[in-house]
Amino acid sequence: MRRFLTMLPLALAATAALAHGPTPQKVEQTVTVAASPAAVWKVLGDFSGIGTWHPDVAGSEGSGGNREGATRKVTLRNGGTLDEGLDEWKAEAMTYSYRMGEPDLKALPVSSYSATVTVVPDGAGAKVSWIGRFYRGDTGNEPPEELSDEAGRRAMNRYFADGLKGLKAKVEGKAAP
Amino acid sequence: MKPARARSGALLALLLCLAPAAGRGEDAIFVASQEAGAVTRIDADPGTGPVLLGAGPAGLAAAADGTLYLTHPDAAAITAVGPDGRIARRLQFRGQPFGIAVSADGTRLFVGDWQAGTLSRIDAQSGAVEAVAEIGREPAGLVTDVAGRVFAAERGGDSLAILDGVTLELRARLPVGRAPFALALSPDGDRLYVGNVRSNDLTVIDTRLLTVLATVPAGRSPYGIATSRDGGEILVTNQEAGSVSVLDRSLALRGRIPVGRYPEGVAVAGHRAYVANWFSNDVSVIDLDEHREIERRRVPEGPRAVVAVPAPVRAEAAR
Repeated sequence: MRRFLTMLPLALAATAALAHGPTPQKVEQTVTVAASPAAVWKVLGDFSGIGTWHPDVAGSEGSGGNREGATRKVTLRNGGTLDEGLDEWKAEAMTYSYRMGEPDLKALPVSSYSATVTVVPDGAGAKVSWIGRFYRGDTGNEPPEELSDEAGRRAMNRYFADGLKGLKAKVEGKAAP
Repeated sequence: MKPARARSGALLALLLCLAPAAGRGEDAIFVASQEAGAVTRIDADPGTGPVLLGAGPAGLAAAADGTLYLTHPDAAAITAVGPDGRIARRLQFRGQPFGIAVSADGTRLFVGDWQAGTLSRIDAQSGAVEAVAEIGREPAGLVTDVAGRVFAAERGGDSLAILDGVTLELRARLPVGRAPFALALSPDGDRLYVGNVRSNDLTVIDTRLLTVLATVPAGRSPYGIATSRDGGEILVTNQEAGSVSVLDRSLALRGRIPVGRYPEGVAVAGHRAYVANWFSNDVSVIDLDEHREIERRRVPEGPRAVVAVPAPVRAEAAR
């Protein structure tokens, strides 16, 4: 038992915790790309490089590279920003997972999310999946329409679908849609 | 109030899992699917299919007689499902009920209101509110112990509240990691394990002294905790990583078992653990002797909470 007494001091920082309600929502989008998985990963795998392929993104600044704990600040064309932290990045498996920091309802009408992108072989090409879990923008029992589960699903699905379309166009060498 | 009754018995009803009891034979495993609005028995003797409850059940707890209680945060209600698998009654709950635990004698429910930041004690038959206490923001996992205490994870407060189950007075509040969610007591009740979703660690509480014994790393987004029947192993689901970490009682990592996508609740019955994979809509069955997944069973959409109801309990209830 002695070893327990020498463990880490507790993190006492009183952070503003993220409010979220009890009903998580799913989002899942996939796309096939006429290129090798490695070619797709080369573009997708750079965590802070989302601005180079996502058509809804105006710019992205990263800090910490592609390691666990890295962050990126993504500015959307609609004016909102997404602060995201990298939780896991596995080049050999061509996948990474990340989480939202503070919510920005202007960027996406959701209060919390985590997501994972993965590249797998698909015939001669590649398939990319982007899945996530989120909570609606207003987690009370009477959310306004624009912050409802439905509004969150619509926005998240569109954001993921737009991104995958842009990724496919970029990797296949076509103009962004 | 019936303090003597509330203190008696030895039931540990948890939000996301039921601590292994001394029962032999086959336990019944139930999983609540939030999106499908169903509860399903998923052990080897499945009986009839899912019980449809409507409106997203989130919290799940079992009473000693095998009655299941499920919270419906979006519908301001609690459903009681009898040991026969039928809906026994539906209780209205004013607010957003989420975490739930049952008193040792099965007559009272402890319910956390996610939005209001309160803990209520209600009559398990009528749903009448007997007492309400203000606690920290976003009450998540709730656990009762043999001493009649209630432990509440305060997700929005990064803390754990310990209350007297009779008076609902706060006995202690301990700081834990960031965003504590799931709780699990060791089988003999000497320790409480707290999973901290945002700091990716596990806080271990000495329940006698009400002090923090240790804080150790867990996987990414720990959302569910259970212990083996002898308490020698602690299972923690890593929601974001799609795996389950196995720690021994000295809190050393003994293994990591891949499961489905977005695993949340976990319950142990004998040498098996059952993990609810929220995204992939299935339950991973884990062999605890070999530390590997041996089967995956489809369940209705959005499984989050799992509970094990020990066999002797069900046998008594059936008499």
